[in-house]
Amino acid sequence: MLKYTARRFLEMIFTLFIIATGTFFLLAAVPGDALAERAEHLPEKVRVNLYARYGLDKPVMERYFITMNGMLHGNFGESVIFEGETVSDIVKTKGPVSARLGIQQMALGITLGLALGIVAAMKKGTWVDYSIVCLSILLISIPHLIFGILLQRVFAGELHWFPTIGWPKGDLWEVWFGGWKYTILPTLTGCFVYIANYARLLKTSMLDVMNQEYILTAESKGLSKWQVMRRHILRNSFIPVVTNLPMSIAMCITGSYFIEKIFAIPGFGKYYVEAIGGRDVCIVMGQTVITAAIYIAVVFLTDILYTLVDPRIRIRGGKK
Amino acid sequence: MDKLLEVKDLKVSYHTYAGEVQSVRGVSFDVNEGEAVAIVGESGCGKSVTSKSIMGLIKTPPGEIKKGSEILYKGRNILDFTQKEWSEYRGNEVSIIFQDALASLNPTMTVGKQIVENLMMHRSMSKKEAFEEAVRLLKLVGIPNAEERVNQYPHEYSGGMRQRAMIAIAYACQPNLLIADEPTTALDVTIQAQIMDLIKDLQKKMNTAVILITHDLGVVANIASRIVVMYSGKIVERGFRDDIFYRPKHPYTCALLKAVPRLDLSNKQKLASIEGTPPDLISPPKGCPFCTRCEYCMDICCEQAPMTTHFEDGHEAACWLHHPLAPKDNLPFKTEECK
Amino acid sequence: MEELTAAKFKRVDRSRFDTDAMVRPTVTYWQDAWRRLKKNPVAVFAMLLLILCFLLMALGPVINGQEYVKINALMKNKGASAEHWFGTDFLGRDLFCRVWVGARASLAVALGCTAIQIVVGSAYGGIMAYFGGWIDEVMMRIVEILTSMPSLLLTMLVMMVMGNNLIALLFAMCMTSWCGTARHMRGMIMQLRESEYVMAAETLGANPAWIIAKHLVPNTLSILILNVATSIPNYIFTEASLSFLGLGLKDPVISLGVLISNGQSVLDLYPSQIFFPALVLCIIVLGFNLLGDGLRDALDPRLRQ
Repeated sequence: MLKYTARRFLEMIFTLFIIATGTFFLLAAVPGDALAERAEHLPEKVRVNLYARYGLDKPVMERYFITMNGMLHGNFGESVIFEGETVSDIVKTKGPVSARLGIQQMALGITLGLALGIVAAMKKGTWVDYSIVCLSILLISIPHLIFGILLQRVFAGELHWFPTIGWPKGDLWEVWFGGWKYTILPTLTGCFVYIANYARLLKTSMLDVMNQEYILTAESKGLSKWQVMRRHILRNSFIPVVTNLPMSIAMCITGSYFIEKIFAIPGFGKYYVEAIGGRDVCIVMGQTVITAAIYIAVVFLTDILYTLVDPRIRIRGGKK
Repeated sequence: MDKLLEVKDLKVSYHTYAGEVQSVRGVSFDVNEGEAVAIVGESGCGKSVTSKSIMGLIKTPPGEIKKGSEILYKGRNILDFTQKEWSEYRGNEVSIIFQDALASLNPTMTVGKQIVENLMMHRSMSKKEAFEEAVRLLKLVGIPNAEERVNQYPHEYSGGMRQRAMIAIAYACQPNLLIADEPTTALDVTIQAQIMDLIKDLQKKMNTAVILITHDLGVVANIASRIVVMYSGKIVERGFRDDIFYRPKHPYTCALLKAVPRLDLSNKQKLASIEGTPPDLISPPKGCPFCTRCEYCMDICCEQAPMTTHFEDGHEAACWLHHPLAPKDNLPFKTEECK
Repeated sequence: MEELTAAKFKRVDRSRFDTDAMVRPTVTYWQDAWRRLKKNPVAVFAMLLLILCFLLMALGPVINGQEYVKINALMKNKGASAEHWFGTDFLGRDLFCRVWVGARASLAVALGCTAIQIVVGSAYGGIMAYFGGWIDEVMMRIVEILTSMPSLLLTMLVMMVMGNNLIALLFAMCMTSWCGTARHMRGMIMQLRESEYVMAAETLGANPAWIIAKHLVPNTLSILILNVATSIPNYIFTEASLSFLGLGLKDPVISLGVLISNGQSVLDLYPSQIFFPALVLCIIVLGFNLLGDGLRDALDPRLRQ
């Protein structure tokens, strides 16, 4: 187990290194630089100073080594377009915002989705099943973008039940648990896609398990329908759900950007896109590496979780 | 001996896109307490559907047990059971083992838990007692290191051991009737004999009635006291074991017997196969279902379903050859080869 | 009942029986899948919906006799009317025509990306599975790296490097999406190679071309068809999102994404300008999703009856 974890950790470092390198050179290939707009009308001398201040006057390879060296020491550098801000500032202030939005969306969406999936599988072939399937397909056929605008217009614009834009600010408590009226619409916007995906995923998987012979064995023990469901069907049908989790988390990280933009939420995703647009190397590098690290960690956790849910799977290179 | 189970005119159909498949078309037989009855027939003849009906495992839809069918267990029609009565009946009164033990065991649950589950359902036991009982059961069915094995998962068992574990689950509550649905088909020949011995042993020890379902007459020879031969959803012949083996009255039974390898025959005699395939049960033939494959087929066979002829000791067969008008020469039942 | 006569008890000549006669006609996998798809009312509805959309896309501007580029200063920002069925935009251009012409571009982009994804993904997956060993290891690592990167970053950077044109858009949107197809194909081919029926075919002397044609293609085709059905709506979404970021196609080239982002800027004043393009986008995507769901059921051999 320890050996396995260590190997995965080394692989992660290697992957992150490649990602950072790739991101750096892709950014370098983009025409123009972060200062181009700001420096356009400045006198020659000031411009040179400005470039020197951010180290943008050096050749690409030298900048690459400086950036990578900084990253090794946990220092991603200073933002160019958000003056004076560093990556760790952004993580500290924007991280919780996006994390809360993501967790709320996923918790609500996955819970509802799984519940609907169970109902659809149990009522297979009835109108309940059909309406759940139709509902979930309808939900994934409407993009975040349009859904968000729609919800915003109806519930904030017309009915005035919720504020149109914004996000709770203030101390730690406020940021994580306060200002529910702000978070409801963005959460709803984001959760539908999870409802749809998980309802369909669990339903398919449950129907698959229900056709297995061991369900007949369970029934022939005299277990009630509910006991068979709880002890035999559910556990086995959750295996594909677990493997789908990292995909969802990855989707959540990028998917939230549009929600953040529509509801003017000061989150990670919004800053990320702005930083890419502004060719702000250090912020983009920092956020990319952090996001990728989160993703890889989630994949690793899923693998561990997988072995817990399905005893047939054994970790390679681990203990027997 | 008392009748434990009585199946009367059981008819089961499956509804598929191509039409209604009449899997079982009016089957009647009975099982006495402590007795082993074998149902023999080739794949698709309706024997598994019959066993699933007795367990109440036919899914509706697509399956359908036709009106007028009766399955009496200790005099009560199980087809009218409520959910609660089913719960008490399954696992406790009657249990079943399937052909493929790997598919029949829950892959994500330890074998011990799967036995305990059955015990806790029907016996008021604490979890600890139930686990001890599970270990005892595993020992009973001949699993070595039962104390360790009880906490392992099915994929960690070998094929033969899995079937033993299935038997332990089935015997957990000492049922009155055990249905063994092709219990040895998926196993090696050497393991087959062990499993059959185990079933026979437990049957004697616990006085359990057994319905053994198989396509292999060789398997049933030393366990079943009575044999029911099914073909294409119907019973073609039934009787005591010796009557079936030594005095078969149906050409299909004869053909099956000829297909069993025997040591006492000379090398020159080949194992005979039965040519052709069974009829499609979507549109079953109106005559005898075996007629197109029967060596002794007569005109009447293809036109009218044969009536049942009764012989001594409840031995009966459904074949036109026993009609008084039928030619009496060259019959299969008298020739030496069929013995 | 007829009288039983001795004549009826004559042995028959068995040669007249065809003992192996099959009563039921054999149904191939694809025939069966097609039959089940046709029996699924939702899938049929989806197919009709898509056909209707294709017709409108092809004929769009012809139907109401308007031109999608014609500027009419007198008819700016009008709502839906008998003349302009979906109203007009800020330059007085007919929105009905523009929506269907825009849908052409959206669909073309989606189809192009799907084609690239399937071809690249299958080839990459096939190479991984075929060579195995360290080649597989290295190629798999590349896939892992690409999937660990935020796809938005790659897409945006590629668009920024290559500029706002169709080729760049196709390339940018396919940057990471083929990875999923490649993994699927690799898994499928590896599984097939291990499978006993392929081994049986090899033992019987089947040459590789035969195995590919008779075993590999039919078994992977259903996965690819599903992949296509789910990818198209995704690309339509991505294209719209990119336009929303100002990164996709730009006026005068129009797509549903361009129209939606144009409409969004005047959302408060003229909501109909975002409503109609969004509605059409949702309907097309819904059609593909419903069809995909029907296909999933139809192509699943476990659901055969």
